[in-house]
Amino acid sequence: MKLKIPGLGPLMAASVAGLLFCVLFSVAMGLGPLELLKGVIQGAWGGTEEAVATLAKATPLLLTGLAVSVAYQGGLLNIGGEGQLTLGALAAATVAGKAAFLPPPLLPPLALVAGGLAGGLWALPAVWLKQRRNVHEVVSTILLNYVALYLADYLVRGPLGDGSGMGRTQELPPGAFWPVLWESGTSSLTSAPLAALGIALVAQLWLSRTAGGYEAKAAGSNPRAAANAGVSVARRQTALFAASGALAGLAGTVEILAVHHRFYAAFSPGYGFDGIAVAFLVGAVPGWLWLSGLLLASLRSADKWLQLALGVSPNAIFVIEAVLLLAVACQQGLGKGWQRTVHGLKNRLRQEES
Amino acid sequence: MTFVHLTLLTLAKTTPLLLATLGGLLSESAGVVNFALEGMMLAGAFGGVWAAIVTGSPWAGLAAAAGAGLFIGLLHALACLSLKANPIVSSIALNLLASGLTGLLLHQVFHAYGSSPEAPTLPVLDTSFLFPRGHAPSTGLSVMDPLAILAGVAIVAWFRWSVGGLRLRACGENPQAARAAGLSVTRIRWLAVASGGLLAGAGGAALSIGELSQFVENMTQGRGYLAIAALILARWRPGGVLLAALFFGFTGALSEWCAVLWPRFPSQLFLALPYLVCLAVLTARLGRRGPPSGLLSGHQAV
Repeated sequence: MKLKIPGLGPLMAASVAGLLFCVLFSVAMGLGPLELLKGVIQGAWGGTEEAVATLAKATPLLLTGLAVSVAYQGGLLNIGGEGQLTLGALAAATVAGKAAFLPPPLLPPLALVAGGLAGGLWALPAVWLKQRRNVHEVVSTILLNYVALYLADYLVRGPLGDGSGMGRTQELPPGAFWPVLWESGTSSLTSAPLAALGIALVAQLWLSRTAGGYEAKAAGSNPRAAANAGVSVARRQTALFAASGALAGLAGTVEILAVHHRFYAAFSPGYGFDGIAVAFLVGAVPGWLWLSGLLLASLRSADKWLQLALGVSPNAIFVIEAVLLLAVACQQGLGKGWQRTVHGLKNRLRQEES
Repeated sequence: MTFVHLTLLTLAKTTPLLLATLGGLLSESAGVVNFALEGMMLAGAFGGVWAAIVTGSPWAGLAAAAGAGLFIGLLHALACLSLKANPIVSSIALNLLASGLTGLLLHQVFHAYGSSPEAPTLPVLDTSFLFPRGHAPSTGLSVMDPLAILAGVAIVAWFRWSVGGLRLRACGENPQAARAAGLSVTRIRWLAVASGGLLAGAGGAALSIGELSQFVENMTQGRGYLAIAALILARWRPGGVLLAALFFGFTGALSEWCAVLWPRFPSQLFLALPYLVCLAVLTARLGRRGPPSGLLSGHQAV
């Protein structure tokens, strides 16, 4: 029997590799075989405070993962998420800060529009370079990433900063904060994770149930056939890439509105780059991103616990993340090698029998 | 700061970048996308410090650095060439791996977070004759600087005038034709990616036991990606790589120079300049040559 759900194959391969690695790693560090795994689960989900922190970390990861997935479904690889996220966050923080005179309920939507627009606009040069200058989008988005990071650094230390020279904007007016659902002690849960999940599910429905989504996927998987069938491939890809940039910009915006309440230089611990891992872990299927987003967020939020409880450097989580991603990248090759080995063994057994 | 200071600073900034760019050139000219230069450099930077401290010899450090870069290169080759992984995803995973592993080992080996203890550094050339009236800069010229330029010239010559260089480029430009001519494309690509790792690892050593004398977590700070930008600006041409690396070294030196002389001038402009120049060149369609034809389009083709 062969059960095939699109997107879960890579995740299974990664989970097996990740579990194996965690066991080996624990033993190598002189701990019990399951200690590291237990540490990650305890550190990420051991109590309400930990669980709330993990959910908060999963939110930007889900959105940057969606940004990569949406572009990838259209046949484009957007690795400029970090720059789009940073500029989106800066635009949102600036607009919400300068528009404090407006009635408070208007502020969060305004910030979201500003953040999405900034992220989307920063993605457009890459599409233009691809379509008009035949430059691969991976090349241009890498270049745009660093331009965005230095631009944001300059702006927040200069014209858009709070004047302290510390590389931050003014704190947002409280009306612009993302509404809190539930509060206990120092931790507060916002509805942002739910909103991100909602956006991902809408994207999944659009891709799998609408004509527009079908055309986008066609443009991605076989542009020539799609063009012959009357799909405007260039226009589809432009729209998808802009949407991808806008989603990365939204990820930055949500992080500002729900967590930091102001923009800091280098506030993102690489959420834009992590989006690539989140997306590829589930084969860029938006409907499963919540799984990979939660997985990586769990690793991210367990790092302190590993350090305090097990004496393991928090860098261990990056190694685990790298192993997961490598397993996904090599999944097909490994799968083929496995099949060949099994096949060879079967043949040899048969020969020995006969 | 005088003109001579700026020249020395430019050379110091160029060296790690040039070695990494040469590594990228080898790998990408053979047709394997390599964004893992950042990880190779970082692994090299750590390996260099580790071996230099353990053995007391900075030259052993340099060898270990090249070995660490080679290790990442072999992983990249294994993933992309044998297991048909997407080279971009593999690169990103390897950069993560290098960042995590070096931080982890830093804690395991030196029981330190953030930065390692002092390591013995590679010899420094005496530059005081350039400053007859004193004012010699505290950091001289590392022996890595002339070595890197020598390596660069040697590789350019090898690309131009040797059969090996021609074969390597054939694998990148037209792998099918190379295979039809009887070359083992996969083997040449393995060698190219591995030796690229070697060079980028040495570039890491130029940073950790050449320019500085310790390892700091994530000390490469995007230099591997800057090397990719240099490769783009050079249009994947060996001679251009030398100039592009030198130019990026110059902008890096300018940003530091400027931060000292005019603290109010935004030094980020110089840091962003390499990327802006690259984008401008791509936009204006300067230079007729593009990337090797086998690159980024058909990594699964062979």
